[in-house]
Amino acid sequence: MNEHKKQAKDVIVKILKKLGQAILRALVVIKPSLIAIGLGLFIGLIIMLIFDAGDAFPALGTLLIGGFNGGLRGIGNTLYQAAPIILTGLAVAFAFRTGLFNIGASGQMMMGAYVAIHIGVRYTLPGTVHWIIAFLAGMLAGAIWGLIPGLLKALSNVNEVVSSIMMNYIAGNLLIIFIMKYVFNPTYSRSLNILRTAELPLLTSVFPNSTANIGIFIAIIVVIIAHIILHKTTLGFGLRASGFSMPGSKYAGMNTKANIITAMTLSGSFAGMAGAIAFLVVGKNIGTAFEIFPQGFDGISVALLGLGEPIGALFAGLFLANIRMGAFYMQRYSFVPQIIDMIIAVIIYVTAISAALQMIFKRYGQQFKAWRLSRHEKKEGK
Amino acid sequence: MTYKVEMRHITKIFGTLYANDDVTLQVKQGEIHALLGENGAGKSTLMSVLFGLYHQEQGDILIDGSPVEIKNPNDANRLGIGMVHQHFKLVESFTVLDNIILGAEDTQNGIIQYEQATKKLQHLIQTYKLHVDLHAYIKDITVGQQQRVEILKMLYRDADILIFDEPTAVLTPQEIHELMNIMRGFAKEGKTIMLITHKLNEIKAVADVCTVLRRGKKIGTVNVKDTSIETLAEMMVGREVSFTVEKPDMEHGEAIFEVEHLNVSGHGRHAVKDVSFKVHRGEILGIAGIDGNGQTELIHALTGLKPIISGKATLMGSDITHLPIRQKYQKGMSHIPEDRQKHGVVMDFDLQSNLILQNYYQPQFQKHAFLKFDVIQDHADELINRFDIRSERGPKTIVRQMSGGNQQKAILGREISRAHELLIAVQPTRGLDVGAIEYIHAQLISERNQQKAVLLISLELEEIMNLSDRILVMYEGEIVGELDPKKTTVNELGLYMSGAKRGGVHE
Amino acid sequence: MDILYLLIQNAYISMTVLLVVALGGLLAERSGVTNIALEGIMILGAFLGVWAIHGLEIYPYSLMTIVVMIVVVLIWVISLDVLVNFGLSKLGFKCVGLNRLHMKQRENRLYIALNIFIVLVFASLIMLSFFLFGIPKQIILIMGIMIGGAVGGVYAMVHAHASIYMKADQVISATALNLFAPAFAIFTARFIQRGQQIPFSSSFMIPKIPLLGDIPIIGELFFTRVFISFYIALALLVIIWIIVYKSKFGLRLRACGENPHAADSLGINIYKLRFKAVTLSGVFAGMGGVIFVISTSTEFNVTVAGFGFLAIAVLIFGNWRPSGILMAAIFFGFTKTLAASYTAIPFLDNLGLQREYYELIPFIATLIILAFFSKNSQAPKALGQIYDQGKR
Repeated sequence: MNEHKKQAKDVIVKILKKLGQAILRALVVIKPSLIAIGLGLFIGLIIMLIFDAGDAFPALGTLLIGGFNGGLRGIGNTLYQAAPIILTGLAVAFAFRTGLFNIGASGQMMMGAYVAIHIGVRYTLPGTVHWIIAFLAGMLAGAIWGLIPGLLKALSNVNEVVSSIMMNYIAGNLLIIFIMKYVFNPTYSRSLNILRTAELPLLTSVFPNSTANIGIFIAIIVVIIAHIILHKTTLGFGLRASGFSMPGSKYAGMNTKANIITAMTLSGSFAGMAGAIAFLVVGKNIGTAFEIFPQGFDGISVALLGLGEPIGALFAGLFLANIRMGAFYMQRYSFVPQIIDMIIAVIIYVTAISAALQMIFKRYGQQFKAWRLSRHEKKEGK
Repeated sequence: MTYKVEMRHITKIFGTLYANDDVTLQVKQGEIHALLGENGAGKSTLMSVLFGLYHQEQGDILIDGSPVEIKNPNDANRLGIGMVHQHFKLVESFTVLDNIILGAEDTQNGIIQYEQATKKLQHLIQTYKLHVDLHAYIKDITVGQQQRVEILKMLYRDADILIFDEPTAVLTPQEIHELMNIMRGFAKEGKTIMLITHKLNEIKAVADVCTVLRRGKKIGTVNVKDTSIETLAEMMVGREVSFTVEKPDMEHGEAIFEVEHLNVSGHGRHAVKDVSFKVHRGEILGIAGIDGNGQTELIHALTGLKPIISGKATLMGSDITHLPIRQKYQKGMSHIPEDRQKHGVVMDFDLQSNLILQNYYQPQFQKHAFLKFDVIQDHADELINRFDIRSERGPKTIVRQMSGGNQQKAILGREISRAHELLIAVQPTRGLDVGAIEYIHAQLISERNQQKAVLLISLELEEIMNLSDRILVMYEGEIVGELDPKKTTVNELGLYMSGAKRGGVHE
Repeated sequence: MDILYLLIQNAYISMTVLLVVALGGLLAERSGVTNIALEGIMILGAFLGVWAIHGLEIYPYSLMTIVVMIVVVLIWVISLDVLVNFGLSKLGFKCVGLNRLHMKQRENRLYIALNIFIVLVFASLIMLSFFLFGIPKQIILIMGIMIGGAVGGVYAMVHAHASIYMKADQVISATALNLFAPAFAIFTARFIQRGQQIPFSSSFMIPKIPLLGDIPIIGELFFTRVFISFYIALALLVIIWIIVYKSKFGLRLRACGENPHAADSLGINIYKLRFKAVTLSGVFAGMGGVIFVISTSTEFNVTVAGFGFLAIAVLIFGNWRPSGILMAAIFFGFTKTLAASYTAIPFLDNLGLQREYYELIPFIATLIILAFFSKNSQAPKALGQIYDQGKR
């Protein structure tokens, strides 16, 4: 009898060990992100302490608890906010993998948002298909908006950062023109409300009083699809090869121009979806004051934090949406929600210098060890 | 007597490689001192130490009898040492004048004053006959004139120890002649010249003394006048023939790869000039030559990484001259590239992905665009076994973490196992340990025995001698000789490789 | 005709901002470092610069204010001297007639003491007049611009340090700066004064410059209803042109951007030079931010309307040359003005196109130009590449 018990114990210990190792390995992989987040929050805390020491720690707590501060409603709104930035993060990450920097996620999202609203306002279609068509149209619009910088880069070697920034501003202005021409609501100087049929199915049954919709599920599914494309298909194989080593992939016979165009187009489609998800909600309208949606830049943060992986973008997006929601609730203290933007900016900065930082840590670690060793030796010598 | 330059017991190590192993060099003032050696002999390294680009692990340097510390090019400049690099360090969009004074500008309130500099340079130009238009832009002048700019850079800084690193590599015969006159002029003035080269006839023409290096060690220093070219060649390549390989005699089959009158550009002139040759089934054709004589450009052009100006390449009867790279592979070409980490693999991919880098899209590895990972892994396992590729985690190992030898075995395995008729191998054993080298040699022979055609480019003479059935020598972009490894010697090869001898090419 | 003059004067506003910021961007990019953080730097510089103006307007009689002003000027002069190696200190001595080599020790010291005394007297007189009569409006503006510039320079150092010394990706570190600046501005402003806008009272527009403004045509074009920033921008254009093409610093700067290996082999410290160049680009961006706010509105409201990014477009459009930048700035300035005031032109008004159509023009034009010219662009060859001394 004891034999069996011992065997069972051994098996359990083995499984636990393997699990522990896997978790450790995962932690090592996401170490840069954790360091960046840690440093960002740390600096945010310092700033809060400088301005109002008393409230600093409880404010930080509220920040981290995030959406949960508001109960189900808060969680629902968090999920609603998370979906678009998960997708824009995915857009940036996907382009990143091919060695491209897609700063145009905002513009792609805006075009997606407008086209979705356009279909949602001006066309009457049966309820089951209306929102689907609006959504797909938004995706397509984003894809086209991503295709253009991609073409410019592949064919004319135009730097995609500059062309994407231009596309953002063009989108911003086009939006105002189109809204005022086709879907204008003069009372509030905004776009009109979309028809009920065009709205993405809501999740208010689960999250009452919030704007949670199935967008979060769409985002999750798209993340999974992106992951599959990137890691399981021939297309993804070629894209990643180009991203890691342009000469190597060229030598292997891959068509690098086609890869650039494909990556930017797909990237744009993800951002377009983000726009559709955010605005296919009755009551959400785009204003007519010039704006470049901030979710595009959040996407950059999400992509960096998620280490360029689709799955990473999912978690990073949820995290970011959560602390943004936390910043909103934090207003009951004397701190302004912009604290979160500062924290995010620091996180990005730290990510950028992470390679150098790690080397510095290593060097100091070695110096410290050497110092400790010499002290130890001195002690022994005495 | 006090030497102008004395480098004593210099040892410079890169990783585990002894680039310079206890080398002592003594140069008298006013001497034209040549440094002779093959690739990797250590001549460039030694002079880089002198010029402050590298710092030696052991040994010291004396200038005019006093020990000195040379930590960077500024220190070298202050001691009067100047260097003309093999690859010019010029700013193309600047004028000649600006390039020369860069870093040593005369200024008044921060604004550059050109009068003094212009006067001094005109004087230098007249004295040494280094005619060049001070106000021309670098991108508009010839390579020979660009070199004069590099020389003027040294003279402007009052250098009296002048180092030339392979200066004639990019010059026309006429320009080479002029350069030699200029060097003689410097020597007469009392300047000391260090000339790094592998070209024996040039050493004979202009040098007084020659120090020969081989594999990091100094072989000897001789008076050029009293030494024959043959002796110099012998010292350069030595008599060591380290390992022989089992190579059964074979009659080769038909020619399946034919190159006709190929011209490829490089360095503003033709790096490959009118090259023609054939490779037959069951034959290893070796192309020997010192690095920088067009081999790289030749292979890049044949494999599609570089465009071809004129000429034709035919494989298995089809014209592959301008085909896209993927199609060249499909027509039966395999290629082990020179720069394995840049071109041969995607370092951050895992082993099994790298093993299907060129044919991942083929039906055996994917279905409806989904990669068949089990098939891919089996394929990797098979190659790992067949080619003894060692790695920490088998097929999932990230290639960056593999040793150089195993990376090369992986590339070799991939290229051999893929369906092909022609294998192009460039520097296949560079940087590898003895075991890996033996293995790869055996594989190449096996390819040949199986009636494949093998084109081998190598800078290692023993490798060429051991493996090839026929040897072509490339010098300055042309094929200058065809030799039978059974009948020729390493020394004869050395003569061809350094341009001292030329012969015809059969067939 | 009057309408035309108004349009042109209006165009100057945008043109000035773009010119100043793009010239700064020129310095950074010519040294080989991309700097898309100009937008964020402008915002931060505008924030603190306008705040300084706000403060100066409220407390013009304070001694503290005046001391601060003098300190700011001194720091500016010294830093610029260090950054560009102009040898101003030597120049200063020469101007005062000192030739130290020819003096005997005691006489030398006497002359130096005398000159310092004269400078101090002048400074005290100025301080006294400010104390008694308040600080003239344009001086307040210049102070604000200088402070904005100083802030911009320091902020840019953050980006410079990351991308030059810590080998960070230049785009990512720049994005961090762009995100941090507006957040910081809103946060600090709201915390200290409960609102994110920082107003300033007067308009700094000069209605007419005496004498010069009365010249027919030219007076209307260049000396009526202008801001002092217009002249500052033109002066900077000339100064930058001299620095980049005629000075030692400029030669080495361009070398770093074209072939850093060549410059390195001649003993030039690439890292130090690029750091200085990026810092200077921040100074210009900071100044541009302040100029933007005071010439386009009456308060700082945490935005520079994309002028930071437009300046990059101006830089590229202008092919990385001061003359080209001027042309591009004029073009963009006019299209911006057109967007704001097309209703005043009957021909355009009749077309019935709304403002945003005109706003689109500069951006679309940039894309088209880029499409055609990126293959032959004269971008500095080493632009955007991280320089690693190990790879000699």
